[in-house]
This record gives sequence, C-alpha cells and structure tokens, in this order.
Amino acid sequence: MTEERTTLEMIAPTIEEAIADGLAELGLSKDDVTVETLDEGSKGILGIGQRHARVLLTVKSEEDKAPPEKRAQAPRRTYDASNGDHVENLISISEATVGELIEKMGVFAEVKATLDEEDSSPDYPSVNVDITGSDLSVLIGRRAETLEALQYITRLIVGKEIGHGARVNIDIEGYRARREQSLKTLAEQMAKQAINSGRKQALEPMPANERRLVHMALRDFEEVTTESVGEDPRRKVVIIPNA
Amino acid sequence: MQEIIEYIARSLVDDPTQVRVSQRRQGSTSNVRLEVAKQDMGRVIGRGGKVANAMRLLLRVAASRDNNSRVRLDIVEPE
Repeated sequence: MTEERTTLEMIAPTIEEAIADGLAELGLSKDDVTVETLDEGSKGILGIGQRHARVLLTVKSEEDKAPPEKRAQAPRRTYDASNGDHVENLISISEATVGELIEKMGVFAEVKATLDEEDSSPDYPSVNVDITGSDLSVLIGRRAETLEALQYITRLIVGKEIGHGARVNIDIEGYRARREQSLKTLAEQMAKQAINSGRKQALEPMPANERRLVHMALRDFEEVTTESVGEDPRRKVVIIPNA
Repeated sequence: MQEIIEYIARSLVDDPTQVRVSQRRQGSTSNVRLEVAKQDMGRVIGRGGKVANAMRLLLRVAASRDNNSRVRLDIVEPE
C-alpha cells in the first residue's frame, strides 16, 4: 500500500493568506501540516505582472488519503475525502441537492445547510438542511409525507454522490420542532383519556419517527403502555391503560 | 414538471445515458414515463417501491405547481 498524504494547494494574494485559507479549509492548525511555497507571487508593477502566491499544505497524519487540489478547482459536487473537506462537501452537496430538487418542483425558497454540531462526530457528520420561504405547506404534505419523501430522495442522491450513507435531515419552516411539541401534547392528552376511560386509545397513523416520539413521550407514564399496530403507512400507536 | 423525475433518476442510476423521461397529457391527467437501463430499475423503484413512491409524491408537487393536473408515473424498462 502506498502512503498518500492529504495535500491542499491554495492560491491567494500573499503567502500568509494562502496558508491561513488552506488551514481554514482543512480545519487544522499550522502544527498539523507542512507548508511548501510553490510560488511566492509578485505584486507586479502597477498591477502588471501581478501573480498570486501558491502554497502546498501537506497534512502530517497518515490516515487521510485524498487526491490533492480537487477542492480548490471544483468546490461543488466533488467528494474529497480529506479531513476538514468531507464535512464541507457534505454540507455543500446537501444544500445543492435540495436546492435543485425544489427548484425542479417549481418551488422557490431559501435553502441553507449547516452542520448539526450536536449530532455530529468528526468521522460521521450530520447535516441539517432548512428550507424557508412562504407557502411551503405543499412541500410538507399530508402527515409530512412529502417532506419525508424529499428527505429520503435527498439522502439517496447525496449518499450516491459521496459514496456512503449520508446523514441529512431536512426541516421546513421549523415544522419538525413544532410537530414534535404538538405530538407530545397529543400523546399526553390521549394517555389521560386512556387512564380516565379505562379504554385503549388509538392515534392517527404516523411515520416511524413520529411514532417513536409518542412512545418516548409516554415512556415515563406508569399508568399506560404504548405499542404500534398495523402496517405502514397505516401503522399507528395505541395507548393501553394498565389494569 | 417531468424535470424533477429526470433529475432524480439521473442522480440515482449507474447509467444516466439510458434515462428517458416523457410526459403525455390526457384530459386532466398527465402521464410521466420513466425509462432506465434494466440494471438500474432497482435503484429507481427501491425496496417495496419506496423510491418510486417518493418520486411520485415529489412529482405531484411539481404537477400542482405546473398545470395542476393529476399525475401518474410509470417506470419501464427499455424495449
């Protein structure tokens, strides 16, 4: 096996800027890389003959293998497995994919992808894509089925692009957060109803992630047991009062 | 409106050159037909038809934005 180091070539007006940009790109500090100056650049005379500085940063650790220069030339739609880059790539590919999908659906909205800091580890980044705009209920759909479809297709496309499973979560106008809260409230109301009436209470059919939220919300309710019954997409949570 | 299907299909298959999408309007219904290479059928249909159903939902949004027709998606192998 040949050892390939991660390298990044940066071009900027000065050597200092090129190094700083390169380190920011890699998400590393100066101690993590060796710097080779390829071209000191030249200020030229009155802008004539001006040349930018070019530096090559080589990452010192040996675990990273990536083709050099990729990122500088093609920042979008290119997967570069080098360390800091793959997170940036996942973010930009996710954002571009969702943007492309909704545009082709005839929906115009703002799309912003960010790293989910809480849910990410260095090797396993998780990205949140937020879609904001007006009149986006058409993108959510009944029981959020359109939102789930959009998220599913996005994960497939991004996953194919980067070569492995992608953790991409899409939200539209804060829908998921609001839905989570209202599901919790609903679960608690239905649980009380089950206890008071002594009868099972069936909730509306829900997708798996929402059923999970209901089960979680009632986990500490000792007077009831919850279970899911039926087949998708009609699978639903039933709240059973404990005898 | 069929652009959404073309984009998804091209992004998911191994052989994008074999992707063909056509659209025919019959009264208030639009029929979108997606053709992909035989070995790519699984990618655009998915386990239990999951990919195909997701594409149908997104196509429905596109149709509602476009000409407000009912829309059908058929996925076929090349003849």
